[in-house]
Amino acid sequence: MGKSLLFILFLFIAIPVFAQKKFTLSGTIDDASTGEKLIGATVKIKELPQDGTITNSYGFYSIPVPAGNYTLLYTYIGYNAIEQVVTLNQSRVYNISLHSKSELNEVVIRSNKPNNDNVTSPQMGQEKLNMAQVNNVPVLLGEKDILKTISLLPGIKSAGEGNTGFYVRGGASDQNLILLDEATVYNASHFFGFFSTFNSDAIKDVSIYKGGMPAEYGGRLSSVLDIKMNDGNNKDYTVQGGLGLISSRIKLEGPIVKNKGSFMISARRTYIDFFLHASSDSTLKGSSLYFYDLNAKANYHFDDKNAIYISGYFGKDVLLLKNTFGTNWGNSTGTVRFNHLFNNRLFSNTSVVFSNYNYTIQDFQSSNYFKATSQITDVNFKEDLQYSMTSDHMLKFGLNILHHNIAPGSITTNSNSNFNNESVEQRYGYENAAYLSDEWRLNNKLTLLYGVRLSGLFLLGPGTFKTYDAAGNSLTSQTYASGSTVKNYLNLEPRFTASYLLSENSSIKFSYNRNSQNIHLLSNSTSSTPTDLYVLSSNNIKPEIADQASTGYFTNFDDNNYEFSAEVYYKWMQNQIDYKDGAQLIVNPDVESLLTYGSGRAYGVELFLKKKFGRFNGWVGYTLSRTELKFAAINNGRYFPARQDRTHDLSVVGIYQLNKRWTLSSDFVYGTGNAVSFPTGKYQIGGLTTFSYSSRNGYRMPSANRLDIGATLEGKEHKKYHSSWTFGVYNVYAHRDPYIITFRDSKTNPNTTEAVETSIFATRIPSITWNFKF
Amino acid sequence: MKNIKIYIVTLVIAAASISCNKVIDLKLANDSGKLVIEGNITNVEGPQYITLSRNVPFTSTNTYPPVLGAIVTVSDDEGHTYPFSEDPNGTYTTPQMAGIAGRTYKMTVVTGGVTYTATSVMPAAVPIDSITSKNNDFDPKKNRKEVSIHLQDPSDVANQYRFILWVNSVQVDAIFAFDDEFTNGRYVNGDLVENATDIYPGDSVRVEMQCIDKPMFTYWVTLMNQQLGGPGGGVAPSNPPSNISPACLGYFSAHTTQTVSIVAK
Repeated sequence: MGKSLLFILFLFIAIPVFAQKKFTLSGTIDDASTGEKLIGATVKIKELPQDGTITNSYGFYSIPVPAGNYTLLYTYIGYNAIEQVVTLNQSRVYNISLHSKSELNEVVIRSNKPNNDNVTSPQMGQEKLNMAQVNNVPVLLGEKDILKTISLLPGIKSAGEGNTGFYVRGGASDQNLILLDEATVYNASHFFGFFSTFNSDAIKDVSIYKGGMPAEYGGRLSSVLDIKMNDGNNKDYTVQGGLGLISSRIKLEGPIVKNKGSFMISARRTYIDFFLHASSDSTLKGSSLYFYDLNAKANYHFDDKNAIYISGYFGKDVLLLKNTFGTNWGNSTGTVRFNHLFNNRLFSNTSVVFSNYNYTIQDFQSSNYFKATSQITDVNFKEDLQYSMTSDHMLKFGLNILHHNIAPGSITTNSNSNFNNESVEQRYGYENAAYLSDEWRLNNKLTLLYGVRLSGLFLLGPGTFKTYDAAGNSLTSQTYASGSTVKNYLNLEPRFTASYLLSENSSIKFSYNRNSQNIHLLSNSTSSTPTDLYVLSSNNIKPEIADQASTGYFTNFDDNNYEFSAEVYYKWMQNQIDYKDGAQLIVNPDVESLLTYGSGRAYGVELFLKKKFGRFNGWVGYTLSRTELKFAAINNGRYFPARQDRTHDLSVVGIYQLNKRWTLSSDFVYGTGNAVSFPTGKYQIGGLTTFSYSSRNGYRMPSANRLDIGATLEGKEHKKYHSSWTFGVYNVYAHRDPYIITFRDSKTNPNTTEAVETSIFATRIPSITWNFKF
Repeated sequence: MKNIKIYIVTLVIAAASISCNKVIDLKLANDSGKLVIEGNITNVEGPQYITLSRNVPFTSTNTYPPVLGAIVTVSDDEGHTYPFSEDPNGTYTTPQMAGIAGRTYKMTVVTGGVTYTATSVMPAAVPIDSITSKNNDFDPKKNRKEVSIHLQDPSDVANQYRFILWVNSVQVDAIFAFDDEFTNGRYVNGDLVENATDIYPGDSVRVEMQCIDKPMFTYWVTLMNQQLGGPGGGVAPSNPPSNISPACLGYFSAHTTQTVSIVAK
């Protein structure tokens, strides 16, 4: 099956090679004032309306065209378009710099020629965030947050109020691959999920794929969130920053060698703990509660054909109660990338990527003294190539060799402690993949994007590996030498998308894709606790597999001012994981004996209406969906709603530029409550009232809704510097969104029981931030 | 180790200090009339009790109808059989017996034409050394206290413990179940962390320690984890895995018991 598929793929690609010889137009597109490469900028040829391309992640484009006289049109949202008349009698390189419509005010203003890429591109299930919009959407405590902003898009749901976790089309939160400059970020949250690890100052581009996954991405079932850092201004030195209620941030950028290389350093730190230190209470004085982030990036372009990018992220959360308890956790990532242009049609990028997530939990009380640590370290080699074979065929292919080292947990103690030293064996494995895809414009109406990804997991020794029966009893135990193979899994993942233009401004698209996942998060808590435990597929855990089919209608109207889409999806999921009763996951060598396996299905409709340009812009997103799981051991083997099942989900975002200085913004969210298990009866056990349950997740938390408003005041124009104020009110009408509902004996009438709702942020929360740039 | 989760939950709730509680009305299904068996055999010579009742809807008062007319016996693996006689309140009693460590006890309950059985192994008794009180880590200002237990965990076997806490003769609405997964062979100073009852100096505190077998530990720890709730709801609550078959609510536990009392200071 696999071989024949590959053969057919090659057959398709081979045919056009015999077509007429063409010249190539290629180059890069960047921002004229900062030199930042523009990702996804459009190149169109007026005389060949069906041909055209967009820039890749490094701002590079390439398009083969026959000899002739052409008018090229370079466009990018928020930038003035450039027209270029060319006589093509040989291959040409055009490096284009576009001028931002408003270099000070980042609000998206109508560009000269609004484009309709969303309609014409074969890609579906993709959402791109505009950083200017991220900056305007009001959020909790004024901390601009890309993860909270993407959860305002249809099909993407926040894991809970004030929580950066998210669910995509019914998938669990560990089924999202979060990449920062290609490095996996394992825990994308600060402070137990109230804030995300992404400092939006340092972010250039955010795309999320919730369906129609391109073949170059893989490894997770539900989505890929691809985040790219700013390269840094290669023309001038600038400093920008902000002082907020809970944190401050600063960013420095500038040229290393003008027009050839630049750097960017961005940092953020909270300062609640400075108030703790000022406290007269000695316990509080010695306690800590903070997080910080550091993003840094540098690049250097040796010549038109070779460039190097080095980027890194380091973030940490520290929480310490003096002499009692402390925990810290953080991610660090590093990426070195080398771009090379073999010729003006073949672009390559070679990356070496490092990623680490670790946490430490400590108890300082003498008898309880322990220190528990856990970490996961990845080293990833990636080779990605992009070949503009003809004007009709754009090939992407590459390979990926990813080495995981997981240290699930170890405990160190001292002689006074209650606890013993413990350590769970480290695990090693390779997650390797190769892919090939082709974007084929059959004619000016039909475009196919098809490909295949072959992914494999190689679980390696050293270590002792057990198998368990369904009851969790150990069946076999075998010890493997270092580097010997314990278990292999190979998965062939077909990816296919087709788009058909109905008119200049509307299209229908269809996609089918299979994804597999070989690294699984075990956590029996729904919030982002730092004690995330990752396991690889093994003798017991099979790769999770999802097949998704989706179709949609896309249209733009009012001269591309408005964008509307409707997508329908259905997803089948295999080898899903849940936990047995009383599962103790931390530092447990037999953790795989506590798991139970099942399947799932998710389906839904997503409607999205967006006004892209003008003084008033924003969007309305609505999702109607269902997500159900089925485990033999749970709910008598019947389907039950997954926790993240959300029947209705509505987001409305509006941004209005009142005048040159004031911009107002607002967002409103409404969502069906999470599916939860409530007691249906009670009895007495051990002298205490105990609740009985009849079905898993048979009840709903009350629906959640909230309105936030924000305003930005731009400072008066000044030659040397610029400043602005951001004001916000979170939860304007002080709605009580239930966070948790608990059941207990009544405080007032002890012979009865009562349900108690705990809400957080059940009040208006104002915020203010001062931003500067010079 | 299990306290980690309590710490984190408490800290998250404390961090989101703008939290508030409200009693609410929920429409819940009426699940009632299901058999509940609570059987205990202890190592203390005297009457042993097995209670049969039925569950009631959430909205009812906390009174549970007794199940009468059942035939209840307990036997051990040395061929002894102990018949239990019925009290009017659904409690079945055998007048004089003491469980012996290492023996497997089997409970048989015949009611409504169904025979329910369960087995439990009585573990060896581990002596409790003492209990003490100390400042509550999260509330030192108000002078709230916390109870600690002290014992030497034996290193040769896996041990599981359950503690029951009374403050001024009222049982605290919290379940405490621990095993020695991380403490095997250590001198253990464990804290009974709870938020249900505030303990102040002068309060009389009583702790019962039970040594329980592994299935009973899973039972109690499942209930304990559900109590914690956790942000957003924690683990999905369900009926804990009963050792009784065919499945019904409740358990049968052969365990050792000891009780220690102090005055909190």
